[in-house]
Amino acid sequence: MDRHFITRGVKRCSTGRFLLWLAPWVAMLLFGLYCAGLCLVKGLNQTNMDNRFAFGLWIFLDLTVIALGAGAFFTGFLVYILKIDALKSVINSAVVIGLVCYSGAVCILAVDVGQPLRAWFTFWYPNVHSMLTEVTFCISCYLMVLFIEYLPIALKNRKLRDVPSLLVFEHEMHKVMYVLAGVGTFLSFFHQGSLGGLYGVLRGRPFAFREGLGIWPTTFFLFILSAAAVGPSFILLTTWMVQKITKKRLVRPGTLQLLGRISGLMLAVYVLLKTVDTIVWINRTSPGSGFPAEQFYAWKPFGVWILFAEIGLFGIVPAIVLLAPKLRARTGWLVSAAAMASIGVALNRFVQTVQTLSVPTLSFDKFMTYSPSWQETGTFLAVVAYGVLVYSLSFRYFRVFPEERELAIEAAQPDDEPALVGRY
Amino acid sequence: MLPWNYGFHWNIATIVFMGAFYAVLAIVGATVITAVLRSRGLLRAKKAENMRWHSDFKHLRAAERECRHNLAGEMPGRLCSHAFDCRECKTHAKFIAKHPPVRPQEAEEEIFGMTFPLDRLYHRGHAWMRREADGVVTVGLDDLGQRLLGEPDSVSLPEPGQRVVANGTAWRARKRNAEVRVLSPVDGEVLETGGPSRGWYLKVKPDNRNTTHLLRPHEVRPWLMREMERLQLALAGEGAAPTLADGGTPVADIAASYPEADWDAVCGEMFLHP
Repeated sequence: MDRHFITRGVKRCSTGRFLLWLAPWVAMLLFGLYCAGLCLVKGLNQTNMDNRFAFGLWIFLDLTVIALGAGAFFTGFLVYILKIDALKSVINSAVVIGLVCYSGAVCILAVDVGQPLRAWFTFWYPNVHSMLTEVTFCISCYLMVLFIEYLPIALKNRKLRDVPSLLVFEHEMHKVMYVLAGVGTFLSFFHQGSLGGLYGVLRGRPFAFREGLGIWPTTFFLFILSAAAVGPSFILLTTWMVQKITKKRLVRPGTLQLLGRISGLMLAVYVLLKTVDTIVWINRTSPGSGFPAEQFYAWKPFGVWILFAEIGLFGIVPAIVLLAPKLRARTGWLVSAAAMASIGVALNRFVQTVQTLSVPTLSFDKFMTYSPSWQETGTFLAVVAYGVLVYSLSFRYFRVFPEERELAIEAAQPDDEPALVGRY
Repeated sequence: MLPWNYGFHWNIATIVFMGAFYAVLAIVGATVITAVLRSRGLLRAKKAENMRWHSDFKHLRAAERECRHNLAGEMPGRLCSHAFDCRECKTHAKFIAKHPPVRPQEAEEEIFGMTFPLDRLYHRGHAWMRREADGVVTVGLDDLGQRLLGEPDSVSLPEPGQRVVANGTAWRARKRNAEVRVLSPVDGEVLETGGPSRGWYLKVKPDNRNTTHLLRPHEVRPWLMREMERLQLALAGEGAAPTLADGGTPVADIAASYPEADWDAVCGEMFLHP
């Protein structure tokens, strides 16, 4: 039915089967929208957050997806600025993932902040001394950039290319993509940093507070590095997953290995600096705030294990695997390491968000736990469903992986190629 | 945010923040506006077809972008970097100056059981052009192209007076699920079109006499050899290759022999539509 909207020469499942795949995600999205509607109409009393636990599942999700979506800016930077052409085969996928992650994050922030009709206040009356303002501005701008970057991908659709004005516009947009990639890198650099800085400046929360360079706490730089490290890993992971689900070869193994190598390199730098930062915090910053660091890990379930898991298991281990050529060459190791790196960044954002708020800092404070309400969970699931839907539709109708057709033809070529070529 | 807002103060933080924010907005806005304006200019200059071809060409596989001199074994491994427009290629000009083309008498009309008359020049997208005595050019579909389309389900020819550009759409045809754009070998104005009784063709008043970009008769054999391999590969992608006999002659309606094949994909491969 929709055959003429699908890129020529690539195989896609039937429309019915595709609709069947979409159905559960649409159901999940509708349920999530209902949950989000409840939160918007009835207020944040629908959540388990309160004045003490003002950051919960949603902010954790925001921070995580923004870090995972960093592959868009970092891959764009590598392809358009550093001219690493080998990554061109994943740049479209990176943009789709970035768009999904950032638009999902902004949607969930809109529910979290509430009063969407007054959203423009943040732009009209900004507090220029707040890291959050920088985050808001950068994320809004970068989302706009991502939409513009997504346009040429959508306009490459076979049917849309029959419209001359769209065809020419797509071509011209492609020419200026390096400008948008540069702007995206600039914006991402600052908002990833500001998200980290947001926690680092919390003097009242010695667990998160960090010293730094000038006005920037170390978390500013660590967030940038961790996002740049895990972004390529997440693209690697999603590409591998899409390959498995669709049973197609979408990129060459060398591309995935290159992503792994870049991710491993960045991860190694990040883990090194994170270790130094932790040592300084344990020996200087935390005691300076009147708290021995071990005190923060006395509250179960957030024991010291979480620190070792974050730095060791999900930091050093994947960095070693991704940097070792022999291990990287094996898909199992490569994908596992990418998954571990992604989990590592999620764990880091969880620690920054939930553990920071859980541990008491005042004498009359108690250790608090938090678990999300079903409305919060539903809204979270809506973002997941939205991401899967956008990616699925993009994959079906747009040329998300430009090498797919070529790889399909190569795969169809019998092993005894000389016997086929040269018969005539 | 703005100087007239309540509580606004000029200070370093405000200037840096606002400066960065507005600079980003200005850059993004200027970039998009530039793209829109340039697109408008190109549309007015009727460059859409040209751009479509250049964009399509970038997406062709390496095997589809081989230089004509590579096909003939004159420059092994060379890929075309001029979107099959040898009129712009300095290497081609130098090569032709050093090695003038052989005479058509050395070429042949019957290749792999198909007819490729010597009185015309061939386009890599399976169209040909023949210059008539009155200076008008006839554009048609070569034998392999005709066998791929067989009897098309529908054909959409341009109206007389319409312009065609080299490597742009000459006419469209539909065969089973395949939507094919036959690429024009010449630039010019369509004077007349011909229907199925005389084979689909266009009579075009050419803009110029430069046909450097088209294959000469002596180049047809090596090109066609590669085309047959590509066809075999395209059919292999449809699980049909083993039934294509070694060295056999393509039947008059190849599509009819492969009812299960995705003919859109096969035609896309052969008519250079990625």
